Parts: sequence; C-alpha cells; structure tokens
Amino acid sequence: MPAFSFSSGPLEPELHREALADPSAGGYASFEGWVRDHNEGRTVRRLEYEAFETLAVKEGERIVAEAVARFGVTRAACVHRVGSLAVGDLAVWVGVSSAHRGEAFAACRYIIDEVKHRVPIWKKEHYTDGDSGWVNCERCAAAAHEHDHGHAHGPSATAGQADDGAPEVRHDYSRQVALPEVGAAGQAKLAAASVLVVGAGGLGVPVLQYLAAAGIGRIGIVDGDVIEASNLHRQPLYGWPDVGRPKAAVAAERLRTLNHDARIEAHETRASADNIDDLVAHYDLVIECTDNFRAKFLVNDAVVRALKPAVFASVHQYEGQVQVYRPLPHWPCLRCLWPEAPRDGLVGNCAEAGVLGPVPATLGALQAMQALKRLLGLDAGEAPALVTVDLLSLETRRLIARRNPDCDHDNPGAAVEAPVAEAPIELEFPTLADAFESGLELVDIRETWERMHDPPGLQIPTHLPLSALVNGYLQFPTEGRYLIVCAHGVRSRSVTEQLRAQGLAEVYSLRGGLAALRS
Amino acid sequence: MNRIEIQYFAVLRERAGTSREAVETSAATAAELYDELAARHDFGLPRAMLRVAVNDEFADWSQALAAGDRVVFIPPVAGG
Repeated sequence: MPAFSFSSGPLEPELHREALADPSAGGYASFEGWVRDHNEGRTVRRLEYEAFETLAVKEGERIVAEAVARFGVTRAACVHRVGSLAVGDLAVWVGVSSAHRGEAFAACRYIIDEVKHRVPIWKKEHYTDGDSGWVNCERCAAAAHEHDHGHAHGPSATAGQADDGAPEVRHDYSRQVALPEVGAAGQAKLAAASVLVVGAGGLGVPVLQYLAAAGIGRIGIVDGDVIEASNLHRQPLYGWPDVGRPKAAVAAERLRTLNHDARIEAHETRASADNIDDLVAHYDLVIECTDNFRAKFLVNDAVVRALKPAVFASVHQYEGQVQVYRPLPHWPCLRCLWPEAPRDGLVGNCAEAGVLGPVPATLGALQAMQALKRLLGLDAGEAPALVTVDLLSLETRRLIARRNPDCDHDNPGAAVEAPVAEAPIELEFPTLADAFESGLELVDIRETWERMHDPPGLQIPTHLPLSALVNGYLQFPTEGRYLIVCAHGVRSRSVTEQLRAQGLAEVYSLRGGLAALRS
Repeated sequence: MNRIEIQYFAVLRERAGTSREAVETSAATAAELYDELAARHDFGLPRAMLRVAVNDEFADWSQALAAGDRVVFIPPVAGG
C-alpha cells in the first residue's frame, strides 16, 4: 500500500493492517482519529475534509519515510479521509509494524502529530445550529490568526495547549525517545509527570530548563525572591532587564517559550511550614534547590510525610552534594544523615562563601538527571547515597547512606522543632548610628579579614569572630543586651537563635547585616 | 600507627588548605582521628555537625580504623 494516501470512501483499518504484516515484525501499533461531536463548545453534526492532494500526498509520504528512518520500524502507513463525514466516522488511520513495541508507538505518534501539523488538510465543521466554519488548518495556523477566515478561534488560555493556535515548530523529543530505555513509553511517562522545583536560583535554573525541555507535563516553581544583579552570573535564565522582577514569574515565562508542551505553574512565595504540604501534595516529585537548611529540612519533612520522592542538592564554592530521597522503608532521609539540623550561617552560603556559576549548574544538571531517572524508572539498582562532586579536582564520590533507626519517618522533624522565640529575632536599623543609639551593645561576629576594609568611624569595637565562638576559644557573655552584626545578617541570625535557645533573652540580629545599612 | 587517606569537603577543606592528605595516626576510631585533625587544622565545626564516611560508606564516629582506610569528613552544605 502507498505510505500516504487519501480516501473518499470509508477507511478499512483491517485491510490496511494486513498490508503492514511482516515476518520480522513483533508488533503493530495504530492510531485512529474519529469525528467527534463537539469543538470549542459547539455541537458538531458532520464535517468535510478537503486537501490540496498533490502537495499533501508528497508531504505525507515524507513524514512516513521520516518515521521509518527515525524509529527504525518495519513498515508504516497513513490514510486520511476526504469528503463528508458523520460523527463517529474514521477520519484518519495510522499503522506501524515493528520488531519492538516502543518504536511502533513512537513512530505512530510521530506520524499523526506531524500529519496534523504539516499536511495541508482543511476541515469544515457543520454545527447543529446550522452554522459552519473551517477549522484545524494547523499548517496555516499563524496566517489564520492574522486573517480571520470565518471561524472565531477561542483564546489560547494556557501555553502548552496545542489543539488551538499551536506554534509552527513542535518540540521534538526524538533524540531522547531514541534511547532504548526511554522510547515512546518513557516519553509518555514524562508527559504525564508533575515536578515541584523549590528555589529557582543557581541549582533551580538548570533543573527547570532541562525538565521543561525534556517534556515534563507540569512543573511548579516555588520562589519568593526577586532577581538580583548578583544572581545573573550563575542563573543565566535571567538577564539584566529582569533585575527586580519575581524569579518564579520570570522563570515561568522563559520555560513557556522553551517548550509549549509543559504546563508551568509559578508560586511566587517562599516555601514555609504553612504552604509546603499543600504544594508537595500537588506534584509527583520534588526537587529541592534552595540555599538554606531551613528550607531543605522543611521540604525533607514534607516529602517524608507525603511519601513523595525528592532530589536534594547543595553547593559550597567548588563542591556540591546530591541526595535522592525515596519513600521506601530502608531509605534514608535528609535528617537520617544530619540528625542535628544544621543552622544557617554556620557553614556559609553563596553570598558569603562565593561560587562559580558552573558549580550549581553541574549539581542542578545532576538533580535533573536523578529526577528523570526516577520518573523513567532507570534508577532501580541505585542504593541510597550522598554523591559528592568536587569541580576543582574533578572527583566524584558515592557515599553509601543508611536509614537512621532513630529518625522517625512517621513524624519527621518532630524531635528537632526550633524553640519558639517570643521576641523578634531580627531588628532593622537604617544606619549604624541608629543601631548604636538603640541601647543594645553591638557585637561584630565577622572574621578579622572581613573587618579590614571597614571605613573609619564605622567600626564596631566589640569583636567576637564566629570561628572563635564555634571553636570555643571565645564565649558569648551570658547576660546583657546585644545586637549581633555580620555582613548579610545570615550568620548573626543563626548565632542569635542559638543564644536565645541557651536562654539569653535580649539578643537580636541586625536584619540584612551591614550590607543593608545606609552609610 | 596506621596510614589513613583523608579527604575534606567545604569549610573543612578551606581550613585544612587541602582537599586531601595522608596521615600516620594512632587514632583508633573516626572520632579520635577527627579530634586529632581538628586540633591540627583549627577546624571550627563540632563533630556532632559532621558526618564521616569510611571506605565510601557513612560510618559511626566509633568506627575502628584500619591501615589504608579512606576517610571522608563531610560538613552539611546549604548553598544553591
């Protein structure tokens, strides 16, 4: 039978199917398009197909040949109806025979998608109210929107709804579908999957880009920050015109341009105890990409409660760590590894420790890979581990981790709830002079080298470097009223929380640190 | 005395000024080894905040060391 043909009479799938039989074929996949009774809210009574046949047959043959070459199937064919059809009639038939089912499904899907998109076929719908209209001329979709041709297209509400107003170029997954472990079935799994990405920064950017590009059906982005100029060197999804705009919204905008198949949901909010369970509940898998322990443990506890898989990562200067959580009885969570939830500020963050862009990019790409492996089921033999990556020495290590029997997965995080402080932890002052006038004694916990460039007159006499406090070389006074100061307010907040927990009531942290002050 | 291969991460690497070293030590356990190195390199982090891995598996601090063991000290990391 010809690879592509038109038929003015009813299609006969049984007959077409027999023409594809071959001793080397281990299976056959087909698709049938039927006339349905509604389109865009209107009831359809019958319809007519019209094609520019010479051109259409050539293009159709080209598509079938592409599918055979691309997926290595045995035989493939497509027959399209022209003329008048009633509801329920067969409008188009695609059949593929192949040695293996994965390629058969993939080639079948490819042919119908490409035919709908590239072959010049017009469809005239006749509605029950006597009206009629030409629709579904996807090939001339762009032109159709510019020149109203008698049919009012509904507004394309969601980017990614390809039925109406589909862009000219379709996302082509063939290079990943070609992998035997992925195939059409794997691609379908990705399309059906939903992923929540918490944090759209250095790690989150590559995670979001690769997942959206791979065809994950629905992606949620949680981020309450706005884009800062200091983000751009390691978050190249954003550019300078975006500075000051909400990260989640800008990321969503970019991802929709990247792949219109993906449904992108922007949550312009910080992950908190009030919203995390709700957010996690709406997705199949969570990827934790924040830069602080508070959020990491918040996400950990939520996924352990919800029995959802998660991928965690962190970076420090030239190194990073990746850890996958799976809701299995023997599988360790983040708290199994770190029973004493570390406090933010003690081990540095990107602002204080510094970071080169490709470091979070590498770790983020690893997170995306781990997530795809989980969704495709390619991680079956993988034991729970913390993977460390050192971008200076180019060494990676898999450190096998085990479930901590003392870690209560039925009640995650319950044993280590932070003490509730009555007074605010942070205070805000416009200038250093205002802070001095507050009646609190200022204590600078920065390291000595950080104080070297302080302008004269803006120096804080009391200096207790954090390293010395942590080492126990210096002790914080057990009474008094203090305002603790560091460069960005992260370390000071952490020290303040610890001192509060030790019973020092009147100790506060300068919000935003010295960087937030007006000079 | 045992010869132990040691690898440091993050803040410990910064403090030690190297990502790896080999030491001759009489430390019997991972804990004793860390205390010895913490004194030498002026590590700020208490042991309770770290994890240790011996021969690519997370281990208890009480794990006994043998000659040729590869020991990795890992502080928690939060950057992103």
